[in-house]
Amino acid sequence: MYRNLGYLLAIAIAAAFPFLVPNNFFVHLAQIFAYTTIAVIGLNLLLGLSGQMSLGHGGFYALGAYGSALLAGSLGWPLLFSIPAGVGVALVAGILVGLLCLRTRGLYLAMATLAFGFIVEIAAQRWTSLTGGTMGLFGVPQLDFGNFRMGPVYFFWFAAAMLLLVQIGSDYLFASRYGRRLQAIKESEPFARTIGLNVPIWRTAIFALSAALAGLAGALFAHQSGFISSEAFSIRLTIGLLIATVIGGLGRSYGPIFGAAILIGIAETTAALHEIGLLLYGGILLTVILVFPEGAIGLAGKLIPRKTAKAPPRRDAEEARSALVLPQAKGAALDIVGVSKSYSGVVALSDLNMSIRPGTVHALIGPNGAGKSTFINVVAGLYQGDKGTISIDGKDVTGTSAHARARLGLARTFQNLQLIQGVSVLDNVMLGVRPERGAPGDFLAWLAGGGHERGERRRAEAILEFLNISHLRDLRPKDLSYGHRKLVELARAIAQQPSIMLLDEPVAGLNAQEAASIARVVSDLRDRGTTILLVEHNMDFVMGLSDRITVLDFGHRIAEGTPEEIQKNPDVIRAYLGTDEAAA
Amino acid sequence: MSRISKTAAAVGLSALFAGGALAQETVKVGVVQGLSGPPAIVDFGESYLQGLRLAHKDYEASDAKTKIELIVYDDEANPQRAVSVVQRLIQNDEVAAVIGTVSSGNVLAFAPILQRAEIPLIAGPSIATNITAQFIDEDPSYIFRCSMVEKFQIDAMLDWAAETFDKVGLVHSTTGYGNVAAEEIQKGMAARDKELVAVEAAAPGVNDLTPQMIRMRDAGAELVLNFHESFELIYRPMARLDYRPTIAGNWGLSSMKVQEIVGADAIEGTVMGQALDLGEEKAQEFDARMREEYGSAYRWPVLAALGYDAGQIMFKAVNEVGTADPKAIRDALENIDGIDAVSATPAQPFSETDHECLNPEHVFLGVWKDGAVVRLQ
Amino acid sequence: MTNFLQLLVSGVAMGAIYTLTAKGLFIAHLATHRLNFGQGDFMMVAAFLVMALLIAGVHALLAVILVVLALCVMGYLLERIAIRPLDALAERSTPYAWVLTTAGIALILQNLVELVWGGSAQYAPPLFSQSRDSVVIVMGVGIFVEEIAIIVVAFLVVGALYWFLFASRWGKAVYAVAFNPEAANLLGVDVRGVIVLVFVIASVLAGVAGVLIGPLVSLHPHIGLVFTIKALAVASLGGFSNPVGILIGGLLFGVAEAFSNYWDSAFGDLYPLLFVLASLAIKPSGLFGERHADVR
Repeated sequence: MYRNLGYLLAIAIAAAFPFLVPNNFFVHLAQIFAYTTIAVIGLNLLLGLSGQMSLGHGGFYALGAYGSALLAGSLGWPLLFSIPAGVGVALVAGILVGLLCLRTRGLYLAMATLAFGFIVEIAAQRWTSLTGGTMGLFGVPQLDFGNFRMGPVYFFWFAAAMLLLVQIGSDYLFASRYGRRLQAIKESEPFARTIGLNVPIWRTAIFALSAALAGLAGALFAHQSGFISSEAFSIRLTIGLLIATVIGGLGRSYGPIFGAAILIGIAETTAALHEIGLLLYGGILLTVILVFPEGAIGLAGKLIPRKTAKAPPRRDAEEARSALVLPQAKGAALDIVGVSKSYSGVVALSDLNMSIRPGTVHALIGPNGAGKSTFINVVAGLYQGDKGTISIDGKDVTGTSAHARARLGLARTFQNLQLIQGVSVLDNVMLGVRPERGAPGDFLAWLAGGGHERGERRRAEAILEFLNISHLRDLRPKDLSYGHRKLVELARAIAQQPSIMLLDEPVAGLNAQEAASIARVVSDLRDRGTTILLVEHNMDFVMGLSDRITVLDFGHRIAEGTPEEIQKNPDVIRAYLGTDEAAA
Repeated sequence: MSRISKTAAAVGLSALFAGGALAQETVKVGVVQGLSGPPAIVDFGESYLQGLRLAHKDYEASDAKTKIELIVYDDEANPQRAVSVVQRLIQNDEVAAVIGTVSSGNVLAFAPILQRAEIPLIAGPSIATNITAQFIDEDPSYIFRCSMVEKFQIDAMLDWAAETFDKVGLVHSTTGYGNVAAEEIQKGMAARDKELVAVEAAAPGVNDLTPQMIRMRDAGAELVLNFHESFELIYRPMARLDYRPTIAGNWGLSSMKVQEIVGADAIEGTVMGQALDLGEEKAQEFDARMREEYGSAYRWPVLAALGYDAGQIMFKAVNEVGTADPKAIRDALENIDGIDAVSATPAQPFSETDHECLNPEHVFLGVWKDGAVVRLQ
Repeated sequence: MTNFLQLLVSGVAMGAIYTLTAKGLFIAHLATHRLNFGQGDFMMVAAFLVMALLIAGVHALLAVILVVLALCVMGYLLERIAIRPLDALAERSTPYAWVLTTAGIALILQNLVELVWGGSAQYAPPLFSQSRDSVVIVMGVGIFVEEIAIIVVAFLVVGALYWFLFASRWGKAVYAVAFNPEAANLLGVDVRGVIVLVFVIASVLAGVAGVLIGPLVSLHPHIGLVFTIKALAVASLGGFSNPVGILIGGLLFGVAEAFSNYWDSAFGDLYPLLFVLASLAIKPSGLFGERHADVR
């Protein structure tokens, strides 16, 4: 509710602003602030939320500007159509660049986008018959609603309205499942895929969205003063946007507002102090990042005391367990036929067959280097096997990607825990929960306040209670003990309501008591029908829990059977204890 | 470091908000110049500003009754910034007139704003041909200029080139400035029934023109027209290619910085558009004063001279009006007479139909001779 | 053919400079996954310093030694001011904070150079020859003595760097830190010392590039950014963690630039960029690649 009051307050301030300032120059600055903030929000979503670096946003800004300016100026389109079209041009470019750079990460992505930015700049500079180059494009209609005197004020109101809409969208992204998922993609792509996210589509979509926002800012810029020239879209623009993003507070929804304000403040300050302009700029940059590392918004947050969330009272364990109504799962059968995998000549899996019946616990054991992790990754779809087929309930999923397998009901835990550090324990579990509403419904619920994601949150809380860790719900994963982290990972997998669960060393590093509680949970899951593939070194755990066991050594299956059979199998004993001679 | 920046920031902020209320008899004149960024821009902007400041100093030392304050902003050679600082000059500082800037694109961006706000502008040292022409039909036009005009120097140069050389090549930059110049040169050559033997371009950030100069040499160009902002680059490959054509080009070639970089021997004989003849006594006097005033920071006589003359003209007009009345200042500018200009600017530079300090007959060709630029004979 | 060789020579000379600056990015990135976005500006500062010393009449050799020492100090200070505090801030800081802290230092350096030497372009006297125009003619190809020096020195320095990385104890320490800082620490490697060392080496590499390039181009305070960007392009082509890839990438980029300017000078700067973009689309971690970690 406070949030909506804030929006209303923002509307009131924007409406009154032109009449409160001493002169129209401040309206001009406010116009720049409004559209610059839109671009910065775009970059903040990209860099702060999804962790992708772009040094080419000046290019999208330019495309939006030229797109709208040319359509409105040369073809006479009304601004109402030309501006969305300009945004569309930037959006399409964003999709193309996003796809082109899909496989690049980190600095390589930065370089690829940098190259794109330069290419756009070169085109704008040299394609003078279209763009006017550095001499500029004239006759771009101004967005003044036909009123010359009040035009600047109207423009400001228009740009401010756009900013408000974009800010609301950004707030929603940050507060909803989308923000959570982007955070997950940012921290661990393999993890994101195993909770059913189509990572390439998400990455491209957020890139395109970010590009479109830069394009919107550019389109507004083009119609602000009715003149654009290629000099405005140099690398300095991109760097300025980037600086605003970071000094405002990267990855915080309100960071861009502060960042853009500071950026404009610096520019106006140094206009008269050009001799030490860069010194000031660099000094402010260093000071902000080193002294206020969370950005201006971090500083603002410190000044306003934050209300601390109270942990819910810890309930009795028995009561907690009964609070959760885990639905019956329809366990699926998992069949692996003739799967092989080798890395540059080294065989990790060789012609492996395994058939896991629905609703059973099937363990996979073997010495280190036997190929267990490779096997789990091949089953989960993170690695592609060289040969063989994998099917779920008879449906061939060999060519299916990890996220699609996750949607078919395959969930997994990781040996190296993949918890998302940027969000709370509860949000980590909610990453696994299937959303109850579609995007529009969820957005409206969020806008109405209160009930947003109530059902999903309740489910996640119930699972935490079931695992007896609901008192940890608001902590960050890094603040948890190792045992608790394992439980959170398990909770997230349970939240996915899988028909098949792959557990990769669920009790490694835990004490006997913790292992026993996990064993209870696993057996409970099986009793409710979930099929479980278990990789584990702890023999007590494996023997006590498994219905069947497969033993791997050097990528080969050396035995399979019930726990009793395996314990007596001479090949297994040899593999674990060395040769007969050594054993004797 | 942070202490310095904080103090400086405080100074800057107080400068930002201290606008508005100053004594009434002081008339404010805004100055927009390219004072940071690429060296070509800074050399132009600083040199013009040096001359302008000297004119202001002379004005204050004179017995003029109107006090004039200069408010100087850097436009970073960026049109977006230029528009913004001009808005600030108009709205926040409430200047009565504006002088500036280097980039023609920037002038073209803010000139319409000044025209609409009815505040006079003396553009300079921007060079694009169409700056005043665009507004001259307005009734009245607020846009004046004291600078070289691209078309005039190109015309002078092509007249000479067509007569003196058989094979002429062109190296230009890929910026708007270079492209527009290239277009005018090609048109001008066609009008003289000639053709360039080679046309090559180079991006603004380029470091080595060897590939372009190989093309010039292979085309047998005896004269290479140089319209790239990094004026010195073209000389560098000459030694290695053993190819020494005559170089002629933009008035930028008259900068002492260019001479310093390429050396006195290499630049000897280089020809450029010019509006200041250091063979004349008046110009030599001015040159000596500038050296005294700015020492080694003084580097470009013709730019400083035009800046000085722009200042003289503006201050005289303001003094005649006596108040911060932009319309009256505009009228005074248009009718101003009796200017004792350092550059080739005439005593009565403007009229209702002519808003340029320099007309074609005032632009001549200069040549580097014994360490100074003099009129080409 | 002569033209071809001529272009090749100027391309290789510029490529050698790109390689040197990119090597600085490489070694810092290898050990810390961070790098100096002001690498080109460090090069610029070195070029200005050596220019000032030579003009002041200092003997060339002494001037070079002084400048290399100055760059060592700058590398150390960079690590202290722009890199180390970020580790102390740990998670309160943002992942790309180092981009902006190092860029902030670069802006300050640009401004300081402007305040001392002005914003104009400058001329740096030659180091290895009497006049800037000393040319050696080989098979009709004019080569500046300074260019020969650049190529020779650049290869010597790259060779020394390889020796350091692959044959010295410190090189092993750098790789140990690159592989896993915590483990390296347990093995007794002075992790902080290694990080300081790589930034000092990166800075010295920029310094050598600056000393060499001064006489070949005209210097100005803002020349650095272009070189940083080209070094980034080279490192992306060759692979940020691939020492041999960067050597090849640098030469390739320099030569591509020279030929691109000859072939179509109006878009001479465009083709190398398209080349980089295309290569990244096809080989997302450089033409010569990097290994990716196993997911468990």
